[in-house]
Amino acid sequence: FGPCQVKGVVLSELWKAFWAVKNTVQAQDNITSIRLLKPEVLPNISDAESCFVAHALLKFYLNVVFKNYYNKRVEFKILKSLSTLANNFILIISKLQPSQENEMFAIKESAHRRFLLFQRAFKQLDIEAALAKAFGEMDILLTWMEKFYHQL
Amino acid sequence: HVTEDTPGLLHHVKFQSQNFESILMWDSGPTSPPDTVYSVEYKTYGQRQWLAKAGCQQTTRKSCNLTMETGNLTELYYARVTALSPGGRSATKMTDRFSPLYHTTIKPPDVTCVPKVRSIQMMVHPMPTPILGEDGHQLTLEKIFQDLFYRLELQVNRTYQMHLEGTQREYEFVGLTPDTEFIGVTTISVPTWSKESAPYVCRVRTLPDRTWT
Amino acid sequence: NGVAVLPAPQNLSVHSTNMKHLLTWSPVILPGEMTFYSVEYQGEYESLYTSHVWIPSSSCSPTNGSECDITDDITATVPYNLRVRTTRDSQTSAWSTLEHPFNRNSTVLMPPRMEVTKDGFHLVLELEDLGPQFEFLVVYWRREPGAKEHAKVVRRGGIPVHLETMDAGAAYCVKAQALVKTIGRHSAFSQAKCVEVQGESLPL
Repeated sequence: FGPCQVKGVVLSELWKAFWAVKNTVQAQDNITSIRLLKPEVLPNISDAESCFVAHALLKFYLNVVFKNYYNKRVEFKILKSLSTLANNFILIISKLQPSQENEMFAIKESAHRRFLLFQRAFKQLDIEAALAKAFGEMDILLTWMEKFYHQL
Repeated sequence: HVTEDTPGLLHHVKFQSQNFESILMWDSGPTSPPDTVYSVEYKTYGQRQWLAKAGCQQTTRKSCNLTMETGNLTELYYARVTALSPGGRSATKMTDRFSPLYHTTIKPPDVTCVPKVRSIQMMVHPMPTPILGEDGHQLTLEKIFQDLFYRLELQVNRTYQMHLEGTQREYEFVGLTPDTEFIGVTTISVPTWSKESAPYVCRVRTLPDRTWT
Repeated sequence: NGVAVLPAPQNLSVHSTNMKHLLTWSPVILPGEMTFYSVEYQGEYESLYTSHVWIPSSSCSPTNGSECDITDDITATVPYNLRVRTTRDSQTSAWSTLEHPFNRNSTVLMPPRMEVTKDGFHLVLELEDLGPQFEFLVVYWRREPGAKEHAKVVRRGGIPVHLETMDAGAAYCVKAQALVKTIGRHSAFSQAKCVEVQGESLPL
């Protein structure tokens, strides 16, 4: 991810895990007029900023989306996909080390504003609807990660 | 997804997409009269408004070309069909969330196989898509999928294969026996999206070696 | 009411070779009917964020053998906790948990088996099919002093592949190693094997 180095994670494993449950999960999201990962959150991100945004989004998915999903009565197929995604996200986050240097402050701020766009949209929804929508938008997140993954 | 449904009027509303040529298709139900008409709407995921697709309103056809309407690869889409029977019964059904990048399948490549005495050349031709780039030109598959590559196999008397692969367009299998038949198989592979095209197969015979005659 | 009366399985361990992971334990010997076992796993995420969550193994919940192929359950290169219990009718034992979490990056990578043949002047190689996670680095050279080594990545095993068109009267040698991207490791090189265009396969 830009200046962050991520090795040892094959994104196709994450894709397969999500594809296995994509239609089931997206069918649970019937608010078609709201998109959390809007174009202004993701595309046109600089390399440097991508590391900060990726770190923030992945942490949110680990701490909020996946965690709450585990507490729902989900079917076995979804639980297995959830586990693959969550454990690979933990691996990615452990390797994503956003730079803490001072001159990165402006980039960090810009990244944080992007993340807040996503988080605010998430909080405006009822928690169940928000969880289903965030999980259903994994393909948007993985598509974005692909782009940066290839620019290493 | 069912919005409102008179049972049996409308089935299997879904996209079929090849090289980003995206067609919405549906079936009439077991109880729908032959002169039932259908109207199509579509929208971008995250937008409120449904848009009517001109040319697919009150139609008896069971498909509708939404290629241009789903041409932004960073967006996801929904489409829905409303069936209206002469008796006034109606039903509306929506597709799953459609992602052109995810759903489109890859057509077999267009290849020219040229036999020589001890080699076979294989030239892969570019594959334009209906997707327009920022400059207004049609994008090729190679432009859209960054890790797309060609995989070429030459089957040698059914026992083993010669393999070549890469992103360039021209390949040559060398060191072959003259006046012998070979089967060339070319596929397009996109590892990121686990996509692989159906193969293009050419059966070709190397030329006889006339140097000693 | 299914309270733990059955003895729990002992001596859990994982044997992992070429990314095939096998969980084994000592069988519980009980008189009468057959004894079954249930296997569950928990990745690093579950153990850190939702420690109450254990996921049934896709192929061994239940099973009547004293081993379980957990390859399809281990889908990330992070530590996994594993546990097994005995079940019989409604009775269950306590869970036995693997002493140390298992990480697939500890798998033993063996050099791939390979067959080197020739067809006329074509040098042909067939590598062992080790599954989709494997690619192979193949190195081949003409057996003569100062010969240059050539390298080629072969994406799949199990298919005879043409390596090189050989010169008459020369001998060529081949060796290969297995590569696994998901754990960023590779095996040692296999023993080299050679063929001569007019001769038979020559052991080194």
